[in-house]
Amino acid sequence: MKLSTVRVFLLLAPLAASLRAQTIEDGLMMPRAALGTGFFYAHEWWSQYWEGTLERYNGNIGTLTTQSITWMAGYGVTDRLNVIALLPYVWTRASQGPLQGMHGLQDFTLAAKYRLLSTSFTDRGTLRAMVVGAAGIPASNYVPDFLPLSIGLASRRFAGRFTLNFQAHAGWFVTGSAAYTWRTKVTLDRPAYYTNGQLYLSNQVAMPNVVDYMVTAGYEQGRLCIPISFSQQRTQGGGDIRRQDMPFVSNRMDWVKVDGRVIYTLPAPRELSIRLGASRIVSGRNVGQATTLTSGLFYTFHL
Amino acid sequence: MSSRLRPSVLAVIVSCAATLAGSGCDNTITSSEALPPLEMASLDSNAGSWRMIVLSGPTQFTVAAPAAETSAAYAAELAAIKTAQSNLTAAQRGSIDYWSGGGVLRWNQIVRELVARFNLPPAPRPDGTYPVPDPENPFADPQFPFANPPYAARAYSYVAVAQYEALKTAWYWKYQFHRRSPARIDSGIRALMPVGDLPAYPSEDAVLSGVTVEMLKVLFPAAVAEITQRAAEQRNAALWSGKAAASDIAAGLALGKAVAATLIARGSADGMKNAVGNAAQWQALADSAVARGEIPWISQESPPRPPMLPNFGLLQAWLMTSAEETTERPPAPPSTSSAQMRQEVSEVRQTVDHLTRDQLAIAYKWNDGAGTYTPPGHWNSIAAAYVRDARMSEVRAARVFALLNMAMHDAAVGCWGVKYTYFNPRPVQLDPGITTVIGLPNFPAYPSGHSTFSAAAAMVLGYLFPEAAPDFAAMKDEASISRLYGGIHYRSDIERGKEHGARIGGYAVRFAQQDGAN
Repeated sequence: MKLSTVRVFLLLAPLAASLRAQTIEDGLMMPRAALGTGFFYAHEWWSQYWEGTLERYNGNIGTLTTQSITWMAGYGVTDRLNVIALLPYVWTRASQGPLQGMHGLQDFTLAAKYRLLSTSFTDRGTLRAMVVGAAGIPASNYVPDFLPLSIGLASRRFAGRFTLNFQAHAGWFVTGSAAYTWRTKVTLDRPAYYTNGQLYLSNQVAMPNVVDYMVTAGYEQGRLCIPISFSQQRTQGGGDIRRQDMPFVSNRMDWVKVDGRVIYTLPAPRELSIRLGASRIVSGRNVGQATTLTSGLFYTFHL
Repeated sequence: MSSRLRPSVLAVIVSCAATLAGSGCDNTITSSEALPPLEMASLDSNAGSWRMIVLSGPTQFTVAAPAAETSAAYAAELAAIKTAQSNLTAAQRGSIDYWSGGGVLRWNQIVRELVARFNLPPAPRPDGTYPVPDPENPFADPQFPFANPPYAARAYSYVAVAQYEALKTAWYWKYQFHRRSPARIDSGIRALMPVGDLPAYPSEDAVLSGVTVEMLKVLFPAAVAEITQRAAEQRNAALWSGKAAASDIAAGLALGKAVAATLIARGSADGMKNAVGNAAQWQALADSAVARGEIPWISQESPPRPPMLPNFGLLQAWLMTSAEETTERPPAPPSTSSAQMRQEVSEVRQTVDHLTRDQLAIAYKWNDGAGTYTPPGHWNSIAAAYVRDARMSEVRAARVFALLNMAMHDAAVGCWGVKYTYFNPRPVQLDPGITTVIGLPNFPAYPSGHSTFSAAAAMVLGYLFPEAAPDFAAMKDEASISRLYGGIHYRSDIERGKEHGARIGGYAVRFAQQDGAN
């Protein structure tokens, strides 16, 4: 690679990063005083799900569709500290059977992303390390006890995340990210429930904590950035859905997902980017085998 | 700007994390039904004369006189207790603490747990048919039983009646022999659970252990290993705690098992065997509705599932003759083609389309659907708190659960009888635009089972705990209307169900008024 090309990339990098930095998991930072905000629409559906480890179809649900519009904002407090906020509105519906779909504001998430390290790694690119603390809280009094139609699990959460990112001058990048999420008890409307082989004479449900990790590889050139991710969630406890039972809020919900996205920054206005994505759960436990399509618009202000 | 923002942003995140650490990291759930050690408010020493339900009287089973407190054999038993007490493990102390809360209350919790575990309908086969749970093969898929509300109502009632009959018999013999508890006889034996003046022979803990384990082996055969272990634990706790000696326990265990055999014989001939029915019968129910000019019930499940226990209404009731079951029935529901029915369908539609969060909470509070301890289990939970707070003797606690569960069993029989007389469709069938926020039960609508169970239960509990009668009545009304909020019942299902349940509950109240226990 010629030196001049490297320089061009280095010059472009802060702007590109500010436009692409959007998630709690990615390896990017918004520069100081940049405010990015946008809306994302997600359309998710499944007709097969895992009842414990048994993959099955349920004629009383048919296809379960979840749509959401998420408001998202990121702000560069400094070059090293970003804050990110998310608030989704969610709709669910089942294509068969009488079960009523639900809708409402789901959980508000606020995260702080702090860059520990940004350094040249050999002469090929930049290595970044960052930590994220994220807290989530239900934004409405929705019902968590009507899965799979419930819009969320109604638990408060705190996640600690570590992310390592290598950005090659040639345009390639790889990101690894792992998080541990602590979850609070959930309160149900009923005075007793049975899960994980036990009757609980309580309306309080202990929620197992969650580990997740994600590996992303991608390429960016000019206005285009294409990340591909492989991610996995492992719930640290919880019971399986019993044979022919409904899912329950504290079930052991595990999945492995592949995810591809395209982020395109418009020539004008250059502050606007368009995102399209698709993901698929390839294996799971107590979750639907979901396919998700996402699209979004993200605008960056330089304050 | 950034320097001003940074501390506040971090403060928010840190405070969120602190909130979480405060409430969330303590993720242990304690049962809301904690049972303190039972210090009986009264010994109920005359319980041996209380009216029997199935047995001819307390002397139907004879308990042989025990060895004297001064005998060598008994001295050896006392020595064995001392040895056991000097070597108690933490697990053994744990079982003493657990069972000191009262055997009737503990077993009631255990039965509720078994019902919740076994209350799952069979999954469909690939060809769209459903297997029937087989008592001869209880560990297979589908597991046996499917402890749905009628099955559960019957199970709770058999356990409760068997315990009540066995304890009345035990009380009779206790006061024939007046043998004291080991901790009362020998100052070298500690009382590790409350040991009162109740005579120890035969041991009421062992009676409960024996009678309950035999009933549950028949009702929940796949749980036999766990049930047997719990029962043995209860007997050991009585022994280790200084409450009963080995011979008190042996006599109690034998008596409990003997009484259970009588109840099991009744259960084998009460009609449950034929409750599922067969395909020709299910079709005849639909044909009969059509012949009357009505729209017949159709399963809304996919694939369609046979109706739940169509012949349960033919079961033998506890406190009503079959003639009384018939005369107490409510009138026919509004015709499916009537203006009233159109109006009631419309009310369901309006309700589910505009549910408030409070209405949703009521629907979920009383849902008690698949995978739960069922509505009868919910009412047992409610009753348990009052029994505990009243510090009832085991025999009086058993009376409460027997009266309550006989009434709910008879309510199940009465309600199912009406359901399959009219075979009335659910709201969703008459207006496919209606959606439900709880699972749709797979049996005819009229009348509401929840309403019938709850009215019968509230009637009995209101008699037994008169100071709380208004609370029980309010719970009954809330449980009943929850089915309209859920989108699964019309108003007339609920109103007629409540009236029917109250009439059925009246039989248990009239029994209780004359049973000698007041």
